[in-house]
Amino acid sequence: MLQIRDLHKSYGKAAALAGVDLDVAKGETVVIMGPSGCGKSTLIRCVNRLTEPDSGSIILGGQDVLALTGPELQQFRRKVGFVFQHFNLIARLTVLDNVMFHLVLAGMDRDQARERALAALDKVGLKAAAERKPGQLSGGQQQRVGIARALAAHPEIMLWDEPTASLDPILVGEVLEVMEELVKHSGTTMVIVTHEVSFALRAAHRIVFMDRGKVVEEGEPERVFAQPRSEIAALYKKLLMN
Amino acid sequence: MLDFFRDGFYKDLVILLVITILLGAGFSQGIAWAIDAYFGDTLDQMIGEYGEYDLILHIRDEAKEAALRELQRIGEQSFPGYKLNQTLTIAGQANVFFGLPPEYRTREVLESITSLFGAVPGLSGYTLIVQPSVLIRGVHPGVREELREQFEALPGVRFAVKDGSNLLVLADGEDALPGVSAQIEQILGQYQILELRFPMGFAVDTQEVGEQALEILRAQERPRGNRYANITSAQYGEDLDAFLTTLVEMRDFLGSYASKVRIAPGPGVNLAVGERIVLEGETELAEELIVEVTGVFGDLGEGMIIQGSPVQSMDRVAYKGFRLLGEGERGEFIGDVEIENERYRLAYAVDESLRLLAELEELAVQASAAVDNAEAVLVTFQEALMQLEVLQVQMRQLNEGITQGDAKPSGEQFLITLLLNGLFQTLAQSVLNNGEQSLDSLQNLDIEEMRRSLDGISTQIANVQEIDVAAIMEQIGFVRDTLPDLSDAEIGQSIRLINTYLGGQVIPGERVQLLIQGERLNEKELEKIFQAELETPYLHTYSTSAGMVSPDARGEIFRILKEVRSIVAGLLAIIFTMIVLALDHATIFSTLKQLRAGRKAAAKRWLRLVDPLLLLGGLVGCAVLSSIYYLAGGQIPLFSPAVIAVLGFGLGVVLVVFAERFSPVDSMELMAAQSLGLSHVQIMREVVIPPSRPGLLNLLNRFKQQF
Ligand SMILES: Nc1ncnc2c1ncn2[C@@H]1O[C@H](COP(=O)(O)OP(=O)(O)OP(=O)(O)O)[C@@H](O)[C@H]1O
Ligand SMILES: [Mg+2]
Repeated sequence: MLQIRDLHKSYGKAAALAGVDLDVAKGETVVIMGPSGCGKSTLIRCVNRLTEPDSGSIILGGQDVLALTGPELQQFRRKVGFVFQHFNLIARLTVLDNVMFHLVLAGMDRDQARERALAALDKVGLKAAAERKPGQLSGGQQQRVGIARALAAHPEIMLWDEPTASLDPILVGEVLEVMEELVKHSGTTMVIVTHEVSFALRAAHRIVFMDRGKVVEEGEPERVFAQPRSEIAALYKKLLMN
Repeated sequence: MLDFFRDGFYKDLVILLVITILLGAGFSQGIAWAIDAYFGDTLDQMIGEYGEYDLILHIRDEAKEAALRELQRIGEQSFPGYKLNQTLTIAGQANVFFGLPPEYRTREVLESITSLFGAVPGLSGYTLIVQPSVLIRGVHPGVREELREQFEALPGVRFAVKDGSNLLVLADGEDALPGVSAQIEQILGQYQILELRFPMGFAVDTQEVGEQALEILRAQERPRGNRYANITSAQYGEDLDAFLTTLVEMRDFLGSYASKVRIAPGPGVNLAVGERIVLEGETELAEELIVEVTGVFGDLGEGMIIQGSPVQSMDRVAYKGFRLLGEGERGEFIGDVEIENERYRLAYAVDESLRLLAELEELAVQASAAVDNAEAVLVTFQEALMQLEVLQVQMRQLNEGITQGDAKPSGEQFLITLLLNGLFQTLAQSVLNNGEQSLDSLQNLDIEEMRRSLDGISTQIANVQEIDVAAIMEQIGFVRDTLPDLSDAEIGQSIRLINTYLGGQVIPGERVQLLIQGERLNEKELEKIFQAELETPYLHTYSTSAGMVSPDARGEIFRILKEVRSIVAGLLAIIFTMIVLALDHATIFSTLKQLRAGRKAAAKRWLRLVDPLLLLGGLVGCAVLSSIYYLAGGQIPLFSPAVIAVLGFGLGVVLVVFAERFSPVDSMELMAAQSLGLSHVQIMREVVIPPSRPGLLNLLNRFKQQF
């Protein structure tokens, strides 16, 4: 489904990505872990071109992602759901509009879009909050709206950039629940950046460890935590033990 | 960057720019126009509409009411249909606008304003503002008539009016003015007035020199075909000249009135003009007496007192003079200095005259009394004489009677005769005080003659008494009192002041004025020729025009108003551009800057050097400001279109640099919008612009916005 080859990205002299290779199969859930600043966000942002890589290649669903421009790129992005660490909701729109507006702008009829949006909100348990503004919701609720917004487009792949990292520990649970539910029942391909080790253990088909812009280890959760080969994986194992 | 605009946002941007520019131009022009209209109306109210009034009468403010009444009377009587508007009072001077009905706007009326309005109380002058007209100032009287004829012959000219030293040329209509004005300029351009000035005190027969100068001009090789004329005119005196002449006279008067200072330098002493001398008298002086040397003639010097007062004396007073060194320090002995106090002498003479007059009057009274007495004595004397004669006759008869009657005088009769003779003699003696003289000699006196001459004296005395001595005394007393109560020092200071002033001026001397018609001549070249030919090295030549077309005040005011309008429009264009850039375009540039953050660095080196965003911002600023400025009719001095373009570019660059400050864009919303597959135009319309600052962009976006 997704093939990333030798991906490079640097900001000035500092390299954020120093040759990343990654394959994700259709329907697979991959969790990416690694220390802060190792390039996780940069990597998944490159996948939907929120960040432009310097070199390398990204093939998604047979499409050369880096060759896309204009309407093609927009079309492509609609198939890729993205969940942000800080939710990135449109503050002035209601919850419902936040979830449906991109569908309408993509050409969908309003009623159909609303139906889909309400369905998505239902999935994240927020149908009742449809007419509220994001500012009136808690962090966990806001992130669930962010998830619903990505779901409403019926994406072929979902990219998650630390969806729980900016949440109050008490609110992390409700989001993780929704995520786990999605992973288990939607069948959508997922690439999830997170530090939630136990979630990874439970939900991931495969865990990828990154360090200093490179993939340093990958494998099934049980394997990587049982026999870590890299320093980073070992560190996460320790985290899991505690 | 370009694909940002490509997917449709450029249309929004074009609409925005067009509306911005039109609105900006309309706004700037509208406000400028409103200002213009406001001031224009105010001006119209003040000075009437173009051609509404024909003259401004300057009237002393206190006489205003009476003047207005009189003006109404004159208007109703002589100019039915007149217009009157009393407007501004400036510096105690009311300005009344008077409009003549068209049929009275004639040369005859306009040239006799003084006599027509002479009866207006408090009238101190007038200004002709008849429109449409061209005003030519300072027209030389020698060519005034000639020019007037030429101007009146011009197409589009109704007539020309002489107004003091000005000529006012009335045109048929406002449209004709530029043409008339140009033709007048052209005619004036053919005239040159060449003035030969001789220094002060240089006696020349100006007519004769004028003719000589003409000959010199005519003898020049080039140019041929010029007309030359001698227009030297005696009465042609400018105010300044008259003033300077007065000053010179005043200085001379003051000089003659000052104490005369004669300096006799000691042996080997050299006096220089301007040098100062401290004087020492026999008696101690109240204030130090200082003299400035004003002239040196051979071994004698003249001076004037610049500090202190000389001794009050009829005679010359001698002092000893010492050189004055710097700050009141006394140098070596220079010589003897004599001062004659002219003012003291004058005052003394006046006082003496007054006394003499007083005595003369007294004398006349006494003389008149004496003559009256003498006459009374004569009458008494004559009467006494006549009685004596009667007595004598009676005595003779008595005597004869005595001798003839009884042949022999009795002893009684003889005694009476003796007695009578004795009495008579005593009487005669008592009258004439002369024992020897007989009554006969007394009778020989011509008493009538004496009376006649006494009458003559009496008449003369009466004549003397008729003279109003009191009035004469009063007048002389007045002269004495009004004699400038100046000290010598003050006189000296005044003379020095006048000299300082005169020093910087060309003191008007004699002058010759020549008219040159045709090709202009260089007066400085001619100066040398005249100096040589007329053998007068001090002669100077000046060239003036025969008259100057001057813009009319009203036109000037409106021209200035128009300038103000252009400046205001220009400033508003700049301000509007700044606001629009900050409110609207900042949002766009702020978004562009955000979007490019995730981009690859530009491949080409020069693109990295010249930030395309800055360039774009500059171009937008340049286009917006230039267009608004141009359309609004902005014109600020020194702000040429190039300057405006650069300024616009600069504003645009500043805009890009500070775009986020002017209009922050939520980068998270922006990123979300991107990730959701929105096109750029959708990102702008739905995500970026709606929460941005209220502006034109925001307003226009409401029509496009779906959520
Ligand atoms: N826009 C940017 N400009 C400059 N440097 C950046 C930018 N974004 C990321 N970086 C740098 O690139 C490197 C990788 O950043 P990235 O955000 O991908 O790390 P991360 O693994 O997601 O870290 P975290 O867990 O903190 O989110 C870091 O060193 C970061 O400082
Ligand atoms: Mg990150």
